[in-house]
Amino acid sequence: MPSISMTVNGQAVTGEVEGRTLLVEFLRDTLGLTGTHVGCDTSQCGACVIHLDGVSVKSCAVLALNADGAEVLTIEGVADGDDLHPMQEAFREHHGLQCGFCTPGMVLTALALVADNPDPTDAEVRHGLEGNLCRCTGYQNIVHAILDGAKRMRG
Amino acid sequence: MNKVSFGDTVRRAEDHRFLTGKGNYIDDITMPGQAHGVVVRSPYAHARINGFDADAARRAPGVLLVVTGADWAAQGFGPIPTKSAVKENRDGTPIAVPDRPCLAHDRVRYVGEGVAFIVAETRDQARDAAELLDVDYAPMDAVTHPVKALEPGAPQLHDGIADNLCVDWELGDAEATEAAMRAADRIVRLELHNNRVTGAPIEPRGAIASYDAGTDSYLMYQATQNIHANRNTTAEILGIEADKIRHVGPDVGGGFGAKNSVYPEPALVLHAAKTLNRPVKWVNDRAESFLSDTHGRSQYSTVELGVDDDGTFRALRTTTVGELGAYCGTVGAFTPTGGSARTQGGPYGFEAMYYSARAGFTNTAPLDPYRGAGRPEGSFQIERIVEKAARELGIDPVELRRKNLIPKERLPLKTAMGLDVDCGDFPTVFEQALAMTDRVGFQARKAASEAAGKRLGFAIAPYLECTGGMPKEHAVVTFTADGSAHLAVGSQSTGMGHETALPQILAATLGLDMARIGFTQADTDATPLGGGHGGSRGMEMGGNAVLQTAGEIIEKGRAIAAHLFETDVDKIDFEDGSFFEKDTNHIASMTEIIAASFDPERLPDGMEPGSLNTGSTFERGIISIPNGCHAAEVEVDPDTGAIAVTGFWVVDDFGTIINPMLADGQVMGGVGQGLGQALMENAVYDEASGQLVTGSLIDYALPRADDMPPMTLEYYEGAPTKKNPLGVKGAGEAGCCGAPPAIVNAVLDALDGLGVTHIEMPLTPEAVWRAIDAAGS
Repeated sequence: MPSISMTVNGQAVTGEVEGRTLLVEFLRDTLGLTGTHVGCDTSQCGACVIHLDGVSVKSCAVLALNADGAEVLTIEGVADGDDLHPMQEAFREHHGLQCGFCTPGMVLTALALVADNPDPTDAEVRHGLEGNLCRCTGYQNIVHAILDGAKRMRG
Repeated sequence: MNKVSFGDTVRRAEDHRFLTGKGNYIDDITMPGQAHGVVVRSPYAHARINGFDADAARRAPGVLLVVTGADWAAQGFGPIPTKSAVKENRDGTPIAVPDRPCLAHDRVRYVGEGVAFIVAETRDQARDAAELLDVDYAPMDAVTHPVKALEPGAPQLHDGIADNLCVDWELGDAEATEAAMRAADRIVRLELHNNRVTGAPIEPRGAIASYDAGTDSYLMYQATQNIHANRNTTAEILGIEADKIRHVGPDVGGGFGAKNSVYPEPALVLHAAKTLNRPVKWVNDRAESFLSDTHGRSQYSTVELGVDDDGTFRALRTTTVGELGAYCGTVGAFTPTGGSARTQGGPYGFEAMYYSARAGFTNTAPLDPYRGAGRPEGSFQIERIVEKAARELGIDPVELRRKNLIPKERLPLKTAMGLDVDCGDFPTVFEQALAMTDRVGFQARKAASEAAGKRLGFAIAPYLECTGGMPKEHAVVTFTADGSAHLAVGSQSTGMGHETALPQILAATLGLDMARIGFTQADTDATPLGGGHGGSRGMEMGGNAVLQTAGEIIEKGRAIAAHLFETDVDKIDFEDGSFFEKDTNHIASMTEIIAASFDPERLPDGMEPGSLNTGSTFERGIISIPNGCHAAEVEVDPDTGAIAVTGFWVVDDFGTIINPMLADGQVMGGVGQGLGQALMENAVYDEASGQLVTGSLIDYALPRADDMPPMTLEYYEGAPTKKNPLGVKGAGEAGCCGAPPAIVNAVLDALDGLGVTHIEMPLTPEAVWRAIDAAGS
């Protein structure tokens, strides 16, 4: 089996994968980073969103081999130790999560959205979440959380 | 000290874990040496199985075990039992309950039904081997439409069950209803379909189990919302003692009813773990979730409203055809019968009501409760017929509703469906909701919309529902000498926030620091019984179990305090976290009493160290009656049929609100699912092939962020129920009751004047466009 190397949450990692191994499987099964979730098999739900070389992608739609040499950020790398990132704080403050299963993807999508657009409108946030499904919240508190998270990040 | 009270918005304890990727969902659990199972599922809606050839699958790399339907049948395991509260037809005969095996061996009855379970070293190997299993199917004619299934000549699903009929049931006074109908000035009729949908929690179902040969016992984790009942029923299937299985629910990624049922797979996982003597994990993929999760709703109904010309409601009669799918689900026969009947008529007064339902088998996945389980169907029926009546009578729909709401003075009352409505103030809730909606500005917004070539519509939908689920719940509180506490409950959150709300009740009642209360839920080792989640029972059952347990702890604490103060128990009061003796300066905090409870020197005779630890079972008397009012404003583009929900307002009477932030979350999530059913969600089977054509998230539309309107929520807190000590009424399912009729009626209001009187859910742009087109031609 081919061996791949990448940087995940700032740490160099290597592992062997099959050609068909998805990046999300490598993260979850090989590296044990189970914060990245799998909610579907058609790249619809967004529970598996990570950052690949600074861009938000669905890790169920990337072969692990294609991420060889890449820089990866998962939900496990967002907080500073026990201190939540301002975006994570905003999700907690605004009750932007219930069951928590879609949450890692929501947070990483939100961070990418705010990196592109530091002061988004309500409509821009909703549009930016078109690749992420939540079945619990009705989205309103997620949108409020992202607007507030963006504000916190602007400082 | 983190001091909390009832009614405080306490941020969630579980969030740090979920936000940092440390949640522990079913597929995150790894047991040493675990193998992976996959279910081989039928590609046919209806077929005879002539045989299995598993040789190639058994020889495939990494394969450890292949259990075909024939192998399963040879083991002699029992069928999956059904536990419907409705057990008899209207004539007193038992409802028809076909055997449902965990794996089909001689006949499959829906696409996705399991025919084999394959276990291999890796998940991919198990999936590869599944491709190699050869099942010899002889396809048969299928029927997937619930009405057609009951018609003469329909393909028959079960030998010995005539006409695919499971249950034929009624409630109410047919003669009195007919008399009131005849006495009314007119009868308004509407045929409507409550579309088939599925819960679609974002986390698929799964389980992992290990077997211990030394004790002949199992440990199973499962993504379920009903640990104890599912453990007991799965043990029943396997013919083993329930207490041989420790069943634990880890973090569960949503349920909505779809994780409440007893499914075949856990029994397969337990069997495989024992057979292989190593842990076995199975997790569905999304396609399997659509095929094999229970679906909900699916009722074809005729609703008749007897009404006088002045708008006075006289009688309501609903005749429904429901659907069970291929087998009886866990409580499937209840939903279209008792579950839909009991809240008929909503918050309106009637002289008489009558409900009649038949429900039968189709070649589709079994149906079981989905968020609301009959109450959303009932709410949709009454609110649609009221809206239609308003149009026919030429009365403002707001005025017609206002005129017929049951006034506060008439409560308590028992409805014609036998529902015990104890308290509430429906007119006040209605006016409160109406006041939120800016009706004054509506005409200006409507004019602006029309100027842009669109059409604005408004509707208001009061609802009345009820709680349900298992009528007992257990809580256990244990202390340590340093004053910290641990709470274990048998109710279960699958996202609702019980890890916060239930410790909040304990902390508020005992005056404890919330940060020092640990929490366990969904573990058969932690509580002797538990009802999990279903029927909006989290606060009503779990919350009251915690309150009751706290009350017993206070009584024990009074005895300890009396001993410490050298006085009589009846002189000890408890208030604000402290025990004190009246008219003295004797006072001891709960934390001090906890410490004393571990010190034999400071305990009264008969109390052992640790005896403050308390477990208590709360038993519900009568289910409570959540009620409220939803209102929607929508804008329709008549050229495309596209709908934008531009405003949504809710007032709920949930009795006492423990944590308003969590209550808001329940309401908004329920509105999201209600909007989904109204506008986009639809589980569709192709009638010719029996294939599920909405078998992926590409084909089955879930609401996304930009589909949702801004939601404004308020509560009416003037009527805490006396049916339970907390005064709570259940918050989880209300959103699904109010949102569909509010949205659908608002769309029809937007189309007023075009000749469109009804559109079946979901109101997709195509459906709306076609309705406009048909009305205009």
